[in-house]
Amino acid sequence: MTTLKVSDLHVSVADEETKATKEILKGVNLTMNTGETHAIMGPNGTGKSTLSETIMGNPKYIVTKGDITLDGESLLDKTVDERARAGLFLAMQYPAEIKGITNSEFMRAAVNATRPADKPIPIRTFLKQLDHNLDVLNMSADMAERYLNEGFSGGEKKRNEILQLMTIKPTFAILDEIDSGLDIDALQVVSKGVNEMMSPDFGVLMITHYQRLLNYIHPDQVHVMMGGRIVKTGDDSLAKELERTGYAGLRAELNLDVDLVDEDVPAGNGGR
Amino acid sequence: MPKAAVLKKDPALLESSKFASEPQWLTDLRQRAWSKIDDLEMPIFAKINYHSWPLLNLTADPGINMSIPQTVVNESAAYQFASVGQIVAKAKLSEKLIKQGVILCDLATAIKEHGDLVKQFLFSKAIHFDEDRLTAANAALVNGGAFLYVPDDVEIDEPINLLQFQDSRQTTNFVNHTLIVAGENSRFKVLQRLATVGETENPAHVMVEIVAAAGSYVKFSALDSLAAQTHSYINRRGYLDRDARIDWTVGLFNDGNTVADFDSDLVGVGSHTEMQTVAISTDRQTQGIDTQVTNYGAHSEGNILQRGILLGASALVFNGIGKIIKGAHGSKAQQENRVLMLSPKARGDADPILLIDENDVIAGHAASVGRINQDQLYYLMSRGLTKEVAQRLVARGFLGVVLSDIPMAEVREQMIAMIERKLVNGQRTE
Ligand SMILES: Nc1ncnc2c1ncn2[C@@H]1O[C@H](COP(=O)(O)OP(=O)(O)OP(=O)(O)O)[C@@H](O)[C@H]1O
Ligand SMILES: [Mg+2]
Repeated sequence: MTTLKVSDLHVSVADEETKATKEILKGVNLTMNTGETHAIMGPNGTGKSTLSETIMGNPKYIVTKGDITLDGESLLDKTVDERARAGLFLAMQYPAEIKGITNSEFMRAAVNATRPADKPIPIRTFLKQLDHNLDVLNMSADMAERYLNEGFSGGEKKRNEILQLMTIKPTFAILDEIDSGLDIDALQVVSKGVNEMMSPDFGVLMITHYQRLLNYIHPDQVHVMMGGRIVKTGDDSLAKELERTGYAGLRAELNLDVDLVDEDVPAGNGGR
Repeated sequence: MPKAAVLKKDPALLESSKFASEPQWLTDLRQRAWSKIDDLEMPIFAKINYHSWPLLNLTADPGINMSIPQTVVNESAAYQFASVGQIVAKAKLSEKLIKQGVILCDLATAIKEHGDLVKQFLFSKAIHFDEDRLTAANAALVNGGAFLYVPDDVEIDEPINLLQFQDSRQTTNFVNHTLIVAGENSRFKVLQRLATVGETENPAHVMVEIVAAAGSYVKFSALDSLAAQTHSYINRRGYLDRDARIDWTVGLFNDGNTVADFDSDLVGVGSHTEMQTVAISTDRQTQGIDTQVTNYGAHSEGNILQRGILLGASALVFNGIGKIIKGAHGSKAQQENRVLMLSPKARGDADPILLIDENDVIAGHAASVGRINQDQLYYLMSRGLTKEVAQRLVARGFLGVVLSDIPMAEVREQMIAMIERKLVNGQRTE
């Protein structure tokens, strides 16, 4: 069993223009073991992507306090590629597009990154796995030969993140809004891909706004994040409760002092 | 005004360049060029300052090494022509091509055996000896090169491959001149591969003239990888007659300072050129590449596509010049010059220059000088690629538009291998 542990994590970002720093995460605690499935929900702008990018090692996010450890060893002084090779994977909310590099050549380089230089994966083995994964995800073979995310639709990009996940086979995967922008059929397909990964040696952390994802990938724990902290942890039923009460309800219940981006906005006809 | 390189005019230098028992017309040409060298200026290329380079540090007492290194012998297997300095290691055409009248040999032999042909085209159509100090120096001091002649209506499928080594095993002069003549309606492909053997510091003067007669189509590729200690001047020029076409694909992977002057003169009505260049500068290297298309003929078309990558504290300048002469009605000139800097200390430049003297033409340009996109780098690294591998992938992707356009698979593969080598070496010295 492997354990990924986030303790009392404080993270700031510097505004690219003004250079002023702003604290986003204000003491996050989270422990995940392989074999477990976790979900994080929370209002827009609360720091969910910040948490996932910080765990992955995005240099834009500055850890001011706390630690992130993998089996007790701190990851903070490791670069993003070192963390990836240590077994972390982040399916990004907004993956980059890169012209001139094909999807399959990139994935092969990624697979080889964790292998000794003189023992690259045999091309046939790689292609066989690729074919299988494409099949699971209902992706056509030419998607693998297209340039990396270049001109991919929103849904295709999400699928492509899961294709990479299945190809690279990390120990821990963080899926940042993998369900956003997917139609119901695509959601099932993507979930199938993630579920195929499930094993005692694999742990997953899903970030989502919608309870419906959790119907397809069942979480052991659901965490709610508000104002840069995890404010409540529960099981499956917590997601359903949130669906009913909204974040404002939870805020009242927990007596929290946080701003919600969309409060006081009339919901139009549906809000009657 | 920077102090320009000066040639020390020792008569022994001129004498040492001559081919054995060369014809009088050539000796006369040398003499005329020699006497003009001092009066002519060094060529000026916008933003490329190469004037302090020892390009004219030629020796009056050049050494000649007759032995052919094993590496050259091994490499020459895939080539029809191979030379080391002035020594010819190989010149072998298939029987079929010889029967069709194709000629491939070194320049000295060509002058001896096909003197009239060479005289008709050497320094007469594409490059003129009195353009500037460097063309004059080449005309006066040429001491090697190749000659390829493809007669009218001959079409050749297999590429003709030329392997030319600068011999820097000793102090000597590398004043090379390759002449390619494409007869009317001929079609063929040529690859020129330039490299250095030996560690001595010698400048390199390399010229290629392609004279493309009416209706001919030449696909010319070059892969240059001269040594770090070599300062090089490379001039490749095409002269295109009616409906002729030349596609150039040049990979500039020299390790030393380089000034490159690539031109196509679209003289004939309906002539057409595609000029594509890929360059990589590393370490403390400076490379200036000046690519020009001149539309003289009506309905002529010239497109320039250049992509460059910089590492270390290197510099790279791409000038793209589109010149349309009055009378070139309905002609087209497009260009795109882009450079990508992988290191904060590198200095890149991409300058489109349009000089247009006619109204009903289509001309356009795009240029950019950029740094590597950090989000792309992060994304690749987040999948476990090291920074170096990720950078190389982005760099290759950036060059991809040119690479995917290279018509010959073998050249494309060689080019990719050389890019990889050059990038890896460049990263090592970062
Ligand atoms: N690179 C950055 N530069 C400046 N501000 C940032 C940066 N990244 C995040 N922020 C800010 O930090 C806060 C949290 O952003 P984050 O993306 O983590 O929220 P989120 O919970 O993922 O929201 P969403 O549900 O909308 O995806 C926001 O106010 C955001 O504007
Ligand atoms: Mg987010």
